[in-house]
Amino acid sequence: MTWQRAWRRLRRDYGPYLPLAPYLFVVLFPFYWMLITAFKRDNDLYNLTTAPFWFKEPPTLAHVKLLLEGTLFLTWLQNSLLIGVLVVIITLALALPAAYALARMRFLGSQTLSTGMFLSYLIPPTLLFLPLSQLVRGLGFTDSIWALVLVYPSFTLPFCTWLLMGFVRTVPREIEESAQIDGCTRLQAFRMIILPVIVPGIITAGIFAFTLTYQEYIYALTFVSASANKTISYGVTTDLIRGDVFYWGSLMSGALIGALPVAVVYAFSLDHFIHGLTAGALK
Amino acid sequence: MANGQNVGAVAVPATRATVRRGWADREGLQGFIWIAPAFLYLAFFIAYPFVMAIYLSLSSARVGSPEYHFVGLLNYQRLFADPTFWQTVQNSFVFTFGSEAIRLIIGLPLAFALNRTFKGKRLVQGLILIPFVIPIALSSLAWKWMFDSLYSVINWMLMRGGIISYPWQWLGEPGLAMWSVIIMNVWRGFPFSAVILLAALTAVPQEIIEAAKIDGAGPLRRFHYVVVPIIRPILFVGLLYSIVFSFTDFSAVWLLTQGGPYNTTHVFGTYAYNIGINAGDIGQGAAITLFIFPFLAAIVIVMLRFLRRE
Repeated sequence: MTWQRAWRRLRRDYGPYLPLAPYLFVVLFPFYWMLITAFKRDNDLYNLTTAPFWFKEPPTLAHVKLLLEGTLFLTWLQNSLLIGVLVVIITLALALPAAYALARMRFLGSQTLSTGMFLSYLIPPTLLFLPLSQLVRGLGFTDSIWALVLVYPSFTLPFCTWLLMGFVRTVPREIEESAQIDGCTRLQAFRMIILPVIVPGIITAGIFAFTLTYQEYIYALTFVSASANKTISYGVTTDLIRGDVFYWGSLMSGALIGALPVAVVYAFSLDHFIHGLTAGALK
Repeated sequence: MANGQNVGAVAVPATRATVRRGWADREGLQGFIWIAPAFLYLAFFIAYPFVMAIYLSLSSARVGSPEYHFVGLLNYQRLFADPTFWQTVQNSFVFTFGSEAIRLIIGLPLAFALNRTFKGKRLVQGLILIPFVIPIALSSLAWKWMFDSLYSVINWMLMRGGIISYPWQWLGEPGLAMWSVIIMNVWRGFPFSAVILLAALTAVPQEIIEAAKIDGAGPLRRFHYVVVPIIRPILFVGLLYSIVFSFTDFSAVWLLTQGGPYNTTHVFGTYAYNIGINAGDIGQGAAITLFIFPFLAAIVIVMLRFLRRE
């Protein structure tokens, strides 16, 4: 009887949250586990006699120290950020004019090209990593982060072009036409009318290009081998496993700190992100 | 007054049409110029390597040796005779469709739970999407640790809860390893499924639901006869995307199991990497990756047909 009443009160007060609680637990538990592992002493980490969910010995910074002093972690972080920023710039420079042309101009083959853009988004790195490894080697980029800067736009460009096309289409044609009456060229109309209006689209495309680049794994694994040239996910997942020994504490702290840049970008752009996600899949 | 307005109304479209023609005259050439950089880039980094993959699969290319020659279908013949390859094909399908089915089953209730207004909805939505945003290479480390053979926290919870009686070897036992990989892939991907479903659900006009309610349709019938037909197109496209990404996945499987134990979790990506890079046999590796293509082509055809019809 009291149980029933308690349950009813729970449903009344927290109704919408009840079904969400198990989801949040499943989603967040691995991150909590990372966090606590990163700061537990080794003795504590390998002691499962009592509940492992909290510290039984005082927390330690030893794992973070090993990560920062015993590996090239900061170099990897720098590589990933540099690659990310450069890829965003290259992607936008190529995608903006292409998106504008595909959304606004009619020319021979424009339909085919926009279908082609959509299709190239579906051709996965898994299909291309072997020939691309030959290709970048042929171009002289053996074991270099520039190979990644060069190749990464191949998966960001189709997606971002597709996304930006949607944004260009939302701008009424009439505005451009009146600009043209006033004597603007295409380029001027694009620069002074389209670009300022689609700033949210540009931000969304930039965020996606950055996160997709930051997440990439197979190209980095294939094209790069020297530790100093690794990206963050590649470096953390390889250099802290020595032989059969997993440095769990350092692995977890590396994964957490490494995930921070994406998490921050994401936290500040949640709405853009969700919009892009649904638009990218639905348009 | 009325006359003047009339003149204006006629004159403006006339000017617009002339102007439009003025720009359109040069569109043929201009269009090419605007799209050329992106087009050339994609031709060089997607189309060309794709053709190259076909050529490599017909050759004896090896890592580190500059010379190779045409060997015809030899690589494919070797694949057909390779039991691990057939295991890989089977694994890829189990991995993809297993993950997708579970993602939908657990994504749908979540989408419904998110499809109402409550305080902190934005925060909850933001938190739910985190596994999808954080690089899978990094979060897979947490799973590898939670699936550890000696110190698995999942085993600890299941044993204390009395659900299992001995520690399971999540990544070491053939059948179980595939489940582990699927569990992580579901964890990473169900937020995406839920967001797509949520976008679809918000597109269902509330009036229609109300009308069905008044007509006496219960929740199940409302879902089946009202909601599903409306969200079907979005659901369908979202699902196809999701299938493509699972089918071509590399990092999730590679980081958890590297295809083991006994090749029971190898998918196209990991097996191709093993053969093409680790064993250095690029030709054979390329042949493996090309088996993804018929599958992709089938999905693309279905998708394009569907989009044309809509």
